[in-house]
Amino acid sequence: MTLSGGLTRPGERDRLIVKFTEIDWTFCLILCLIAGAGGMMMFSAAESSWMPWAAPHFIRFGVFFVMMIVLAMVDLRVWFAAAYPIYAVALLLLVGVELVGDAAKGAQRWLELGPVRFQPSEVMKVGIVLALARFYHGLSADNARMSWWLLAPLLLIGAPTLLVAHQPDLGTAILIAATGLAIMMLAGLSWRLIGAGVVLGVGAAIPFVMFVLHDYQRQRILTFLDPESDPKGTGYHILQSKIALGAGGLLGKGYGLGSQSQLDFLPEKHTDFMFATLAEEFGFAGCFSILFLYGAIIFMALRTASVSHSHFGRLSAAGVTATFALYVLINGAMVMGLAPVVGVPMPLLSYGGTVMLTVMIGFGLVQSVRVHRYSEVTSGRGALM
Amino acid sequence: MSEPTIFFSEVNEKQGAFTRRAFLMGGLTGAGLLALTGRLIHLQLVEAQRYEKLAQSNQFNFRLVPPPRGLILDRNGVTLASNRPNFRLLVSREANMDVEQTVADLATLVAIDDKKRERLIRDIKRAPKKAPVQVMEDMSWEEFSRINVRAPELAGVTADMGEVRVYPYGGAFAHVIGYVARVNDKDIEAARKAGISPDPLLYNPGFRIGRQGVEKALDVELRGKAGAQKQEVDSQGRVVRQDPGGDIPATPGKEVRLTLDADIQNRALEVMGEESGAIVLMDCRTGDLLCMASTPSFDANRFVKGLSGPEYRALAGYERKPLLDKALYGTYAPGSTFKPTVALAALEAGVDPDTRVVCTGGWFFGNRTFHCWKPGGHGSQSMHEAIKNSCDVYFYQTALKIGPDIIARTARSMGFGQVFDIGIPGQKKGLVPDRAWKKRAFKDPRNQVWFPGESPSYGIGQGALTVNALQLAVMTSRLANGRKALNPRLIKSVGGIDRPHGDAVPDLPFSQEFLDIVRGGMIAVANDPTGGAYRQSQLGLGDILMAGKTGTAQVRSYDKAASRKSASVRWGLKDHNLYIAFAPIDAPRYAMSVLIEHGGLAGATAAAPRAREVMRVALLKDPEIRARIEKPLPMPELDEASLAEGAAPGPAVDGPPPPAAPPTPEPRP
Repeated sequence: MTLSGGLTRPGERDRLIVKFTEIDWTFCLILCLIAGAGGMMMFSAAESSWMPWAAPHFIRFGVFFVMMIVLAMVDLRVWFAAAYPIYAVALLLLVGVELVGDAAKGAQRWLELGPVRFQPSEVMKVGIVLALARFYHGLSADNARMSWWLLAPLLLIGAPTLLVAHQPDLGTAILIAATGLAIMMLAGLSWRLIGAGVVLGVGAAIPFVMFVLHDYQRQRILTFLDPESDPKGTGYHILQSKIALGAGGLLGKGYGLGSQSQLDFLPEKHTDFMFATLAEEFGFAGCFSILFLYGAIIFMALRTASVSHSHFGRLSAAGVTATFALYVLINGAMVMGLAPVVGVPMPLLSYGGTVMLTVMIGFGLVQSVRVHRYSEVTSGRGALM
Repeated sequence: MSEPTIFFSEVNEKQGAFTRRAFLMGGLTGAGLLALTGRLIHLQLVEAQRYEKLAQSNQFNFRLVPPPRGLILDRNGVTLASNRPNFRLLVSREANMDVEQTVADLATLVAIDDKKRERLIRDIKRAPKKAPVQVMEDMSWEEFSRINVRAPELAGVTADMGEVRVYPYGGAFAHVIGYVARVNDKDIEAARKAGISPDPLLYNPGFRIGRQGVEKALDVELRGKAGAQKQEVDSQGRVVRQDPGGDIPATPGKEVRLTLDADIQNRALEVMGEESGAIVLMDCRTGDLLCMASTPSFDANRFVKGLSGPEYRALAGYERKPLLDKALYGTYAPGSTFKPTVALAALEAGVDPDTRVVCTGGWFFGNRTFHCWKPGGHGSQSMHEAIKNSCDVYFYQTALKIGPDIIARTARSMGFGQVFDIGIPGQKKGLVPDRAWKKRAFKDPRNQVWFPGESPSYGIGQGALTVNALQLAVMTSRLANGRKALNPRLIKSVGGIDRPHGDAVPDLPFSQEFLDIVRGGMIAVANDPTGGAYRQSQLGLGDILMAGKTGTAQVRSYDKAASRKSASVRWGLKDHNLYIAFAPIDAPRYAMSVLIEHGGLAGATAAAPRAREVMRVALLKDPEIRARIEKPLPMPELDEASLAEGAAPGPAVDGPPPPAAPPTPEPRP
């Protein structure tokens, strides 16, 4: 129990109006700034038109923002109770995709439930965070460091990762795995195990790249290692993106004046390469500002995680933050030619409803952790229950 | 709410571990963001210029703009070669383009037959990506607009307006000007071999370069320099915007002015009619060539378009050889037109012009008889009479007397046996034989000596001697000029800069007295009523008179003199007829040569009247001469006798009376 101001009265913190004021509104403002910048660039990329991207982007963000606030009101104990069921449903949906999924661009990612078409892999991004936080909440620090119990989180991570990778959606699979591993690390995984994992991972990566990956995936990675080798083919995306960035210079070419994006030299200019579109028109100044805002989001979310009184709250908020940070770093590195082209968008900046939904649900969870930071979440009966 | 099973130490341990790891994660994320910032600094600040350039090369394309080809004008500014608009249809291959379908679509808009369709599909597939291939040219306005309306939906199809060469006079100047034709692989190969990178214009579809004559010789000057049109393109290569500010204007080709006169040239072609031959007319004060015609000619415009196989075969196979430039490239025995040169050589060798030779119609030398053209003979002949009558026997004997070397030396001084730098290719030197030539030309030592029997033929312009029509005109000019060893000039100016005149040359190495004697003979040919071409050489321009010399060159050995001119003899076996002339006789202004292949008549009959007609045009166009013709009659001396006679200057002729103001012949388009 806490001793601060007028909030000491029992039940006071459960009042909706109080919860509302507890939301981190600066955090929300920054989210709006980033999404606003993305919408503005979509307007520019569509040759000063609200359609087809900018208007849906803003509408979606508005809806999801409200949803985030609503989720922030949801008691952390509800999240706690729903953690395993959400994970289980997400896993079932992934299996469903495997069986009856809709193939788009050679990959089975979409599932249709009535009028709704969505990617279960996105649900899993939240599900994995919740499930692992739920699991570690009941696990002792010693066991979290090194014990046979740790096979459970590996299983929790491994199953969805393999299912998503098989779709194949390498980007999301990596993201799910990396998020899960990050949570394991945050929970206090032994350094020795981390070291062993890195060695094993690198050892496994080479045969994985050579034998398991699809041709286009392997090609992307090989091209990344030598992008100039095939400037008209696979290296084209990387090269054009670097040109857009570099041509932006310090202050950019000006809003609506980026030749790379306006003349379609930049591929996927409104989705995965939205950052490059922004970079071309607003230069280093614009890029640095956006990266700064992303940094602010990540650090504020991490602070939220660290002030939570429950381990579940800490780990779930930090897990969401890890996912978000991975999105930003992977997309940034890809756009700047530091990583192979994998389909990871820049969250909130890029066009695309699914990723925005995932991120905003995640931030709803983060805000819920903040709002309910003082609430006790029972350790339950054992780690898995 | 809470359960007592929570151990504080446990919670604190978990919280402590989390906090440490969260710091670590924050640190790692911060490092990652810093790394991205570093990369941004590298790309956007350090290498910005490089990427800016790459972005521009993405954004902008430069489309080659062919320059208008320089005009070719005659001496008075009449257009001999210009450019006309040409609506063209181009197709460039784009990524995943269905070439067959595109060509099939085009076939619904313009006429493309099956054969052409196959060739087009092959060409388009073979051409490099985005390099336009010309599908059609010279489309009608209707076809052009039909294509332009549909072009946006037909990927890779464009219709543009280019320019193509046009020769308004068709064939009149075809041999001099030549023509332009499409660039072929050999041209590009030749440019490469010469060590220069080929002009990018050569790769422009439908671009044409000079193939003959002036068009070839001055191709680079006429061609100009390509400009460029700056255009903004998208990633598919579609033009989004034009950027006129970034255009580089094309440098038009230089204007070339010839010394030719379109009126005289056209008249020459007119009088030649169906005959095969050449007419060259020179200003014998400056060396300017006013007329250089070769007939029959061909329509140069057909070559610009590209000849079909049968068309070419018809031209190449015609026995009168329209493709051959007979003024420069055809060499012939000069026949009697060589006699003035022989006479000059004789004077140089010290022959007394008054020494008489008796002509009996034939002269027995060696073991054969050399016939004079006049079966009965001319009787006793001085040099003057021999030129006037074209007496063969006189020149047989004179040539034998003076020997071949001095004839050859004189001939070369007069312009034979050499090519002149008139700025166009394709001249033949001909042959001026002498003893040294025999040594060079024959392998067998027995044939390397000059046989005395060769000299008599040499004296009448037969034997090994060959000349071309230009050389004949130059010889006549030099003789008429009397002082300068004139060189002919064809290119008056290029791009407004005058080419050197033909009179900046040394003097002739002959004394005026000798030249007067020879000229006197030629004047007599045309003006002495007993002269060889008296009737045919009357200009009818009052006191403006013409001098001349006929020639007949045999193309084979004859059994009988009589058969040479017979109508029954096949065209190709008849004699060549020649005439050289200059006028006015008192102050020579123009000199010319006329050559009729297989005219089958005497030089006087076939060639002289034609020379007269062309000369008349030249004289009437000359303001000085016109002033002389048109000036009021000199007030007669107050002399009873002349008053009584009635002042009628000029020779009494049976030709047309001198008109007061002769009409200028109209140029024909």
